[in-house]
Amino acid sequence: MSTFIAFWKKEWMELLRSGKFIIVLLIFALFGIMNPAIAKLTPWLMETMADSLQDTGLQVTTVTVDATTSWTQFYKNMPMALIVVVLLFGSMFTQEYQRGTLVLVLTKGYPRRNVYLVKTWMALFIWTICFWLSFVITWFYNSYYWDNGNTSNILPAAALFWLFGIWVLLLLVFFSTVFSETSGVLAGTGAIVLLSYVVTIFPNVQDFLPVKLLGAQGLLLESQVIGDYGQAVFVTVVVSAAAAIAGMLLFEKKRI
Amino acid sequence: MDMLKISHVGKRFGDKEVLRDLDFTVPKHTIYGFVGQNGAGKTTTMKLVLGLLSADHGEIFVDGEKVSFTNNRTNRFIGYLPDVPEFYSYMNPTEYLHFCGAITGMEANDCKMRTEEMLRLVGLDGEKHRIKGFSRGMKQRLGIAQALLSRPRLLICDEPTSALDPVGRKEILDILVSAREETTVLFSTHILSDVERICERFAFLHQGKILRQGSMEDLKKSCGETGFELELEQKEKLEKLMEHFPGGTRQGRRGVIYAQGKGQSMEAVLAWLLREQIKFTKIEKSGLTLESLFLEVVGK
Repeated sequence: MSTFIAFWKKEWMELLRSGKFIIVLLIFALFGIMNPAIAKLTPWLMETMADSLQDTGLQVTTVTVDATTSWTQFYKNMPMALIVVVLLFGSMFTQEYQRGTLVLVLTKGYPRRNVYLVKTWMALFIWTICFWLSFVITWFYNSYYWDNGNTSNILPAAALFWLFGIWVLLLLVFFSTVFSETSGVLAGTGAIVLLSYVVTIFPNVQDFLPVKLLGAQGLLLESQVIGDYGQAVFVTVVVSAAAAIAGMLLFEKKRI
Repeated sequence: MDMLKISHVGKRFGDKEVLRDLDFTVPKHTIYGFVGQNGAGKTTTMKLVLGLLSADHGEIFVDGEKVSFTNNRTNRFIGYLPDVPEFYSYMNPTEYLHFCGAITGMEANDCKMRTEEMLRLVGLDGEKHRIKGFSRGMKQRLGIAQALLSRPRLLICDEPTSALDPVGRKEILDILVSAREETTVLFSTHILSDVERICERFAFLHQGKILRQGSMEDLKKSCGETGFELELEQKEKLEKLMEHFPGGTRQGRRGVIYAQGKGQSMEAVLAWLLREQIKFTKIEKSGLTLESLFLEVVGK
């Protein structure tokens, strides 16, 4: 366990001293503030633009915003924040392969499994704390300006998006054991997510795809119920676990 | 008892046979020079010992325990210095050695003491800057410190002096000599003078095969009497010398080489020069013949 913690501390030091942690934390905090801010500013923006819009023939009526508007904005911004996490963690293994820094670690008899588990855990941990930080900031401002009570399923909807992020990051870890270059890792992960989108054109498989979790904002408006996501959650968890296990097995035999 | 035993090991990369029936042993507490040209298979051999590659056939034992590919348990006995050691550049040397100690399960106090001891040994004590700005020589010295930190039974150094200036080379060789008391050193190189300087045993690797191995003492004995060369102050006197002592080969304008077996003794020539009051600028026995032996066995 102490050797596990030693590698964990090294990963932390890397994130802090490279500035990656601060960057990702600031981005998520900023998105957390932007969601209610954009919602709050929308009526004012529409009002100031009303004259010019009228010239083009558009009639601006009174715009009403509430917590749901802000939460809807949350689901528009989170994919961008997830992309930032993917870009930052896309090189977590490949940078070590290319620089050769793992050679000295592994030739001391340090188990490969520990390296894999710490790095995977770190990516999931950072995503989790940053995602929920953004969530809490949005929740706090929403309850200050409006009333979160008027929006349904806030927490389950957020949990579904968080799970989508876990799936993407475990794919990223899996491809980090397949490829030795960051471009390969990002392309592999991107290809699977894209494929998952493309397959949605077949209506009978839509409910089973992890990308369905991206539409979790539907829960906020009660146009959907939590049960609608059961199959997608099941498939996402199974695929994520399979990717994590397969990645570990591949990393055990990877030439470093 | 042998610290390292490599038994009939072979390795191919695609259709290229990198190692062919490699077979040698390294006795405990020796500095073993593993000599070969670039591409001879030295690094591949070391990676096999470290379990970073798998052998196609044959077996490797470190202190009697068999080496396996990946998660190699014998690595806990080994300290490794790659040709270009790469560290986490955002750490300083103390932090890096503490990290190395922690991942190998060293007790915290022991790790702290040993870190100070090793940094003193390699002359990096008091160095608080991050590794990022280190020179090649400093990285090589830190590489030795990390390799020796957990008191390994076998220290493997892959061309540790190849890219260093003469001062840096001497420092590294001195550290390796001082490390012999507590460990066995396997040291790959293509610099023969380094082997002559510090190694007790050697093996010549050529195209994946051991062509010759043995102790430096045996080598010197087998070389027998060596020749000598001298250089006079005035070139005019050279003719006279060569008439008196035939069999020499002219070298440059003022020099002559008497190869071994030509019947001339250095002492006799020296006595004659003094008697005739002929001034000379250099007289020396020919250098050690490891280089000539190496060139001979690799057929150059």
